[in-house]
Amino acid sequence: MQLSFMLNDEPAEVDVDAHVLLVDVIRGLDKTGTKEGCGVGVCGLCTVLVDDAPVSSCIYLAHCAAGKSVYTVEGLTARDPALLAAFVEHEGMQCGICTPGQVVSAYALRLDNPGASEAEIKEFMAGNLCRCTGYGSIADSVRAYVG
Amino acid sequence: MASATRFVAPTTLPEALTALEEEGAMVVAGGTSVGVLLKNRLVEPTSLVFLGHVPGLTGVSAEEDGSLRIGAMTTLHDLAREPSVREAADVVAKAASLVGNPRVRSIATIGGAIVHGDPRQDLPPVLLALRATVAVLGPRGARKIPMEEFLVGFMESALEEDELVTEVVLPPRHHRRSAYSRFTPNSEDDYPTVGVAASLWLSSEGTVEDVVLALGGVDTHAITVPGAADLLRGRTLDEPAMEEVARAASAAARPTDDNRGSEDYKRAMIEVWTKRALRQCANS
Repeated sequence: MQLSFMLNDEPAEVDVDAHVLLVDVIRGLDKTGTKEGCGVGVCGLCTVLVDDAPVSSCIYLAHCAAGKSVYTVEGLTARDPALLAAFVEHEGMQCGICTPGQVVSAYALRLDNPGASEAEIKEFMAGNLCRCTGYGSIADSVRAYVG
Repeated sequence: MASATRFVAPTTLPEALTALEEEGAMVVAGGTSVGVLLKNRLVEPTSLVFLGHVPGLTGVSAEEDGSLRIGAMTTLHDLAREPSVREAADVVAKAASLVGNPRVRSIATIGGAIVHGDPRQDLPPVLLALRATVAVLGPRGARKIPMEEFLVGFMESALEEDELVTEVVLPPRHHRRSAYSRFTPNSEDDYPTVGVAASLWLSSEGTVEDVVLALGGVDTHAITVPGAADLLRGRTLDEPAMEEVARAASAAARPTDDNRGSEDYKRAMIEVWTKRALRQCANS
């Protein structure tokens, strides 16, 4: 089945079955910044924006994105250099596997709630797990970007 | 599996109903649960009918009598934020804000939450406690189903295969006090061991006029505690009264052993969290 949507401001057109998930379509289009972690929408690794809403692309049916605008970590960091700069400046990463999801969530938070309070930042970002437990520096990065 | 599954995206309600007449068709609302079900091959629909392009299914409207009509495709994110919901039924906004994480709440819908029928979800007990009604549309017309009758079993609702939910209606608040209190021993974003929703109406003398207690996570589906109102009506909500109704709540449930607690532990937790929910109501 044909599926067209915007991926990082460029038109994307693929032929995929009804049950295919967005994460696989995105990675198939060589946007491999998005990773699949837990596969059940819990860990946050695969976070992308669909029409400005953060979603877990590992459980999001690709065809639900038809006609919508999807942004991955590649698109958002290109769009707003301050996003990556905040994570670099505050060393908001250790091994790096969760970083694409953290970065997309930070962007989503600023869209949803600009000037979010400390508690709101923690609440929002709690859905992105970091197995290195580097939460302090991730929170610093997000605060710098959102605030 | 499923390579023959079709993805259908109707743009009107009649088109959606026609699509649902096909044997094995399955509705996709937000798509959070359906994605997981498909991935684990727990369902094998012949077609997926996505409601995201059907107009008129989102948004909240406050009626003159004080009731609130919530479109089935309203996301949990919007439910948690919507001022009219916070005003008329803050417990719904609160419960919506507790579900999963921001990525779930941004696409999961109130209609999806009740049709999915996972017994551990937060909204079903809250909607039971508020005596909500579910508006349903199908080829035989529209009907209204009280939440109490809508939830019928483990991931099973009273919805027919060819019907869809259009609205959830909350009755007027009057002097109702409501609370939702849940126990999540694993992590905040996990399903609760038990979730207790309560609605309480007190007389001007402070005695109980009416009460609804509903439990999530401790039966095949969210349940109301039968006889809770009869137990408490006319009494003050003191410790002995709360102990008594908490025991009734525990006895009404059919919890099973799992990684969120043994049956006995869950029964004990029902008592603890029932009392907490009632205290929250009384103090609100």
